[in-house]
Amino acid sequence: MYLRELSEMDGVSGNEEKVRSFIEEKIREKVDEISVDVLGNLIALKKGRKGGKTLVVAAHMDEVGLIVSRIHEDGSLSFQPVGGIDPRILPGKVVKVKDLHGVIGYKAIHLQKEGERKGTQDFSSLRIYLGFSSDKEAREKVSVGDYVSFVSEYRENNGRAVGKAFDDRGGCSVLLDILERGVSPAYDTYFVFTVQEETGLRGSAVVVEQIRPTCALVVETTTSGDNPEMDRERWATHLGDGPAITFYHRGYVVHPRIFQLIVDTAKSHGIPHQMKRRSAGGTDAGRFATTAYGVPSGVVSIPARYIHTPNSILDLRDYEHTRRLVQVLIEEGKIVEVIE
Amino acid sequence: MKELVKKLTEAFGPSGREEEVRKIILEELEGHVDGYREDGLGNLVVWKGSGERKVLLDAHVDEIGVVVTSVDDRGFLMVEPVGGVSAYMLLGKRLRFQNGKVGIVGLEGETTDEMRENLKNLSFDKIFVDVGANGREEAEKNFPIGTFAVYDARFEEMSGKFVSKAMDDRIGCAVVVEVFKRLKPRNVQLFGVFSSQEEIGLVGASVAAYDILPDEVIAIDVTDASDTPKGYKRHAMKLGEGPALKVKDRASISSRRILERLVEVAERNKVKYQMEVLTFGGTNALSYQKTRHGIPAATISIPTRYIHSPSEMVHPDDVEGAIELLLKYLEAS
Repeated sequence: MYLRELSEMDGVSGNEEKVRSFIEEKIREKVDEISVDVLGNLIALKKGRKGGKTLVVAAHMDEVGLIVSRIHEDGSLSFQPVGGIDPRILPGKVVKVKDLHGVIGYKAIHLQKEGERKGTQDFSSLRIYLGFSSDKEAREKVSVGDYVSFVSEYRENNGRAVGKAFDDRGGCSVLLDILERGVSPAYDTYFVFTVQEETGLRGSAVVVEQIRPTCALVVETTTSGDNPEMDRERWATHLGDGPAITFYHRGYVVHPRIFQLIVDTAKSHGIPHQMKRRSAGGTDAGRFATTAYGVPSGVVSIPARYIHTPNSILDLRDYEHTRRLVQVLIEEGKIVEVIE
Repeated sequence: MKELVKKLTEAFGPSGREEEVRKIILEELEGHVDGYREDGLGNLVVWKGSGERKVLLDAHVDEIGVVVTSVDDRGFLMVEPVGGVSAYMLLGKRLRFQNGKVGIVGLEGETTDEMRENLKNLSFDKIFVDVGANGREEAEKNFPIGTFAVYDARFEEMSGKFVSKAMDDRIGCAVVVEVFKRLKPRNVQLFGVFSSQEEIGLVGASVAAYDILPDEVIAIDVTDASDTPKGYKRHAMKLGEGPALKVKDRASISSRRILERLVEVAERNKVKYQMEVLTFGGTNALSYQKTRHGIPAATISIPTRYIHSPSEMVHPDDVEGAIELLLKYLEAS
């Protein structure tokens, strides 16, 4: 499992090189063909036992982060979000620009007016401080357009893991594990590691034309929303209940036969699973379905708490059950056979 | 045509669960098409005739609905919208599930104040569906998570006007079916796409024409009719004034060339029509304009009152007008 290595790597949307090289090096000897396309998607073919149909299994390499938008006279940096980030979670967080560590600052509690803490910060009221005392100093090391990523050490405790970027290094790690253990796909299977998912499913938009698959399976890390302050009936998923299977999310209703096949496969192999119970948020499945001739796609996800923050939490049993489910789907190949 | 509209609108078919509607359309078209296929996204594609000119007519088969996302201990269901469904519109209504069973929509609120607050800022987090179940087990058996539902509503004829759920866009499906039944194609290959998942983002139509590459596309969909008390004052469309030729909406601008020819054909054949500029909404025309190298596309709309409610109202004359205009247009090549 490479969740530690992958999650500690920087790879904000559009800047996935490190993640891509790491994955490429690990799987090069395990696959039959491997290439990187124009947008930066890593595409690896593992040949199947039968011909005639093709499966894509995809996980996205990018994570949400920030980008430097201005360098101020005092050497501090303004920034904009890359992907969906709630500005209220940012103050006090450690970030990295290139190899420099910095913090996101906000007025100390002593200086805040009464009621100010009830308000919500927006991006324009926040700055990154890297220790520079002038813009001249800052410009020698950083520039407008530099990526900013969260800094979080990966830790495990009591069967759960905490770290950044589990969305979707969790999915990347699952695909890596499957290739490392050895897998015998029923049909030609392309392991696709996509870029720029968090900025609007962009990398996946060029995958279908290159491969022309029969169907696709997206392996994601999804929101759990099982916070104690929320009613259980409104949770999206629950940590520890197994991989989440999607029937509908923003912009795409999953092909009913694919959805049912994934559920039936989990059941017949005794793999714990749950339904994804909120429809908010989309995945690369929506892009595959609406590109070229339209690729029917399914989605299986590892549930994680607090995604899109520097510290998300997932259950390692959910991770392993997701790995098993995805591997079985690839090896049995029925997910391809339900599509005429 | 009335029977066809009744059958199509009363059928069950929220986005992604449109099998029943496709089946009805195929039965209706038996003997009137040269072939058909269904693609991986659930688009039903039919064709007829041969010739240099390839024209594609699109109508979406799906309707708005809800989907069960959770079941509580007492057997109440939580739902989320599939397409543009308002929680306000759902309140107090009956829903029909794929298995034919019915549920009613209720409102949460433990105090009068909370009830009032929930009503003021109504969302899907504040409503639930009561299927009469005695506990979780019974509810989960009949309405498992992932079960879809639509408005429970019947077709009615009111002073000559048609009212039903899902006129959006089964009325478009009816138009395309009738065109296929009545057209004797000369020098034109006609494709009909009964497209899936329009209501959640023009999904099916994004890919339907990829392998067909038609010369032009006409989408048939509904549009807002503002001829009601204090109706939307920037809209000109009225029931009974003929099919509306869409110039633009929020998603697409109709191909000028197609639009001008439609106007010319309508004038020449004395088919009553009205022009349409819609300030919101969009149709599948956008998807076709963005397919491959871009396909010229326009929309013919059926003016409709109370869109996305259980009682969408259209005038049959506008529907007949749309069919006539399309037939003349296709014969004019």
